[in-house]
Amino acid sequence: MSTTTAPEVLTPTLRTTGARARFWILGIAAIVLVGIVMLVAERGVSTEASRLDPDSAAPGGTRALVEVLRDQGVEVHLVTSITEMRRAVAAADSATVVLHDPTAILDEQQRAQFLRTAARLVVLEPGLAATADLAPEIGLAGSALDSEQRLDSACALPAAERAGEIRGTGFGYRILDDSTGAVGCFPAGDDIVALVQLPRDNGDLVILGATSLLTNEEITLAGNAALALNLLGEDATLVWYVPGVDDLRAGDELPSILDLTATWATPLALLAVLVVIAAGVWRGRRFGPLVRERLPVIVRSSETMEGRARLYERADARLHALDALRMAALGRLATRVGLSRRATVDEIVAAVASLTGRDRSQLHDLLAGAAPHSDADLLRISDELGQLERTVAQLTTSPPTR
Amino acid sequence: MALSGWFVALLALGAVPTIAVGGPWGLLGWLGLCVALVAVDLLVAGSPRALRIARDTPARVRLGESVASRLVIANEGRRAIHGVVRDAWQPSAGASPSRQRIVIAAGERRALTTTLTPRRRGERRAAHVTVRAFGPLRLAARQATLLAPGVIRVLPPFHSRRHLPSRLARLRELDGRTSVMLRGQGTEFDSLREYVRGDDVRSIDWRATARRRDPAGGGLQLVVRTWRPERDRRVVIVVDSGRTSAARIDHEPRLDTAFESSLLLAALASRAGDHVDLVVFDRRVRGRVQGASAAELLSRMVDVMAPIDPDLIETDWSAVPGLVRNVTPHRALVVLLTSIDTPGSSRALLAALPQLTRNHTVLVASVTDPEIQQATTERGNRSEVYRAAAAERALLDAARVATAIRQSGADVVTATPSELPPAVADRYLELKAAGRL
Repeated sequence: MSTTTAPEVLTPTLRTTGARARFWILGIAAIVLVGIVMLVAERGVSTEASRLDPDSAAPGGTRALVEVLRDQGVEVHLVTSITEMRRAVAAADSATVVLHDPTAILDEQQRAQFLRTAARLVVLEPGLAATADLAPEIGLAGSALDSEQRLDSACALPAAERAGEIRGTGFGYRILDDSTGAVGCFPAGDDIVALVQLPRDNGDLVILGATSLLTNEEITLAGNAALALNLLGEDATLVWYVPGVDDLRAGDELPSILDLTATWATPLALLAVLVVIAAGVWRGRRFGPLVRERLPVIVRSSETMEGRARLYERADARLHALDALRMAALGRLATRVGLSRRATVDEIVAAVASLTGRDRSQLHDLLAGAAPHSDADLLRISDELGQLERTVAQLTTSPPTR
Repeated sequence: MALSGWFVALLALGAVPTIAVGGPWGLLGWLGLCVALVAVDLLVAGSPRALRIARDTPARVRLGESVASRLVIANEGRRAIHGVVRDAWQPSAGASPSRQRIVIAAGERRALTTTLTPRRRGERRAAHVTVRAFGPLRLAARQATLLAPGVIRVLPPFHSRRHLPSRLARLRELDGRTSVMLRGQGTEFDSLREYVRGDDVRSIDWRATARRRDPAGGGLQLVVRTWRPERDRRVVIVVDSGRTSAARIDHEPRLDTAFESSLLLAALASRAGDHVDLVVFDRRVRGRVQGASAAELLSRMVDVMAPIDPDLIETDWSAVPGLVRNVTPHRALVVLLTSIDTPGSSRALLAALPQLTRNHTVLVASVTDPEIQQATTERGNRSEVYRAAAAERALLDAARVATAIRQSGADVVTATPSELPPAVADRYLELKAAGRL
């Protein structure tokens, strides 16, 4: 029997596999594409940007202000590290630097470094520590400004005078020591002011507390726009500095775990993973599909007997069990002593009694009488039955001498 | 595609350049090298799709024996194949070795031999051949599965044929025996021969003795008639392939024991000159051997039996008398190979028996479980006593069914799986000797 098979190959080729998987490939590509598009679109309309973000068009952002300043010919740089800030300042002829550090990233040394910058410095709502470092002459008075309250300039600063009055919320400051020439503007009562100008060697330092007047939402109220533009648009260059990750100087003293490991450690771990995957493919690639086979059910014939035995045992069916044992014994005894299987119990008892010489009533009791009251009883009667059968068997196979 | 262990080793060797170079470039370079080598290996490897496969499998094998199955593989591709071949048989076909190395130059052919040692009766199939062709670097392989169907029929083992010689000897003893013991309706006149001491004087043919009288005046030479058992009787074997025949006794389904018994009986009866017909039945006829000559009877029977598995349905005994009538309208020995367990499950059989016994001699053969017999004697503890009681109950049930069968005029043979075939054969010989066929 020799059959030449047509070259029918069950393993799909690369092309058919590709065609079969095309739906999934296209589907996943479409999902990724939609995801990217949504991400980009989301970025443009984000309302969750941080407060006073010069890039954000949200109500809390300050993009309007920055755009207007750009229209006015001010060169605006948005920087996130002190190095960038200094580079930008160094490149400009005259510069105003805005510092907004809401999460207090800068430490003491960096603030000192910032103060040494040769430019006009505007610090937006500095916190307690920042105030102490940057301008020890003034103190933070908390969120003391009311948004409904119009604040009058009440000082000689040109920018403040041009604005007239402003509306805004934020921190208020108190001048603790005016011997150095600190000027406070926009008083809100109780010695609290919203803006402080401090003279420095290389440009003034302005602390602005009522920062909400810079936001897209509130810049158009009262004289807010005038104050903001005059304050920030004074020089040709504005550097908007929001400290970022690069300014973090944690772990300066201790080398990190990455510095301690060798450069090849990560690639080596990666290689180990790849080797494990390759070994999995090597051992796991199956050598063609399995061949199916219908296997027969395996039912042991004695299962019904075992089941019945367990049933007897669980129900303590001693009498039932003993009945079966007795009937079987009677049947065997009957054939042994030469009676038909249909012989009555009395006939069998009589025949067995005469053969073994045992007491009739006792035999009758054993073969058909007493009900077992305990498992011990059952065991005893079963043993006696066995004993009787063996005796009869002995007597009938080797008949006694007559 | 498949990767080899060499590829994994090569990849692991990348630890050296990774450490030596440091940074990601050592690793990336090595990975690039590995991928390039694999690509080259795959491109240069011979295509397993260009193979043509021819199968040469014997049609039959007896269960328990081994047979060689050949696979001729021709390489019609342009490159040589260095690889491994798996001939995919069903697990119980017992194919070995399952994987074989092979080298086939382009345009050449090679033969692979797989030894099949089936573990189960029936039709065992091969579905396909999988070839893994490695490239020259042994890093990666192209793999393809080619359709190459094959089938081998595994016949019943007929272990019981070892009982055949002794039964045939007994059959010959029946032949040519005088009517010392048996001179009934079931024997027919065979021949005349000289009287020897020990022959029954009643079988002396006086007329023939008178004719043989030597004219020369020699002594009187007595002539006796001899008899032989009748020939050309019919034996119909009905094997029950229903639900109860699936149960296993001594690691063998009842059905297989029934097949063994029927094979031995058929071998014996066909030698004795009787016609044997076989029907395997549950609710429909699963297999039938009818009108086979003595020479081809056994081979046809094993062929019919081979693929039959028990069906998990109740046997329709009411259809059996009609079935037997269909096989032969004459008087026959009907052997029913079934199981007699409880009066409940044997009710249909008992109802159908009178119809059969009216016209035929009926023998019901059933397998008993030695485990049950064993259980009756173990009475050491509480559980064992209950188990013994359950076993006794099972035996009593079977005995009641046997009694009922005898009452309806049929004969009963019960024995353990290894003893049933000779027991059935012996009962057949007894019936034949008694001339009851």
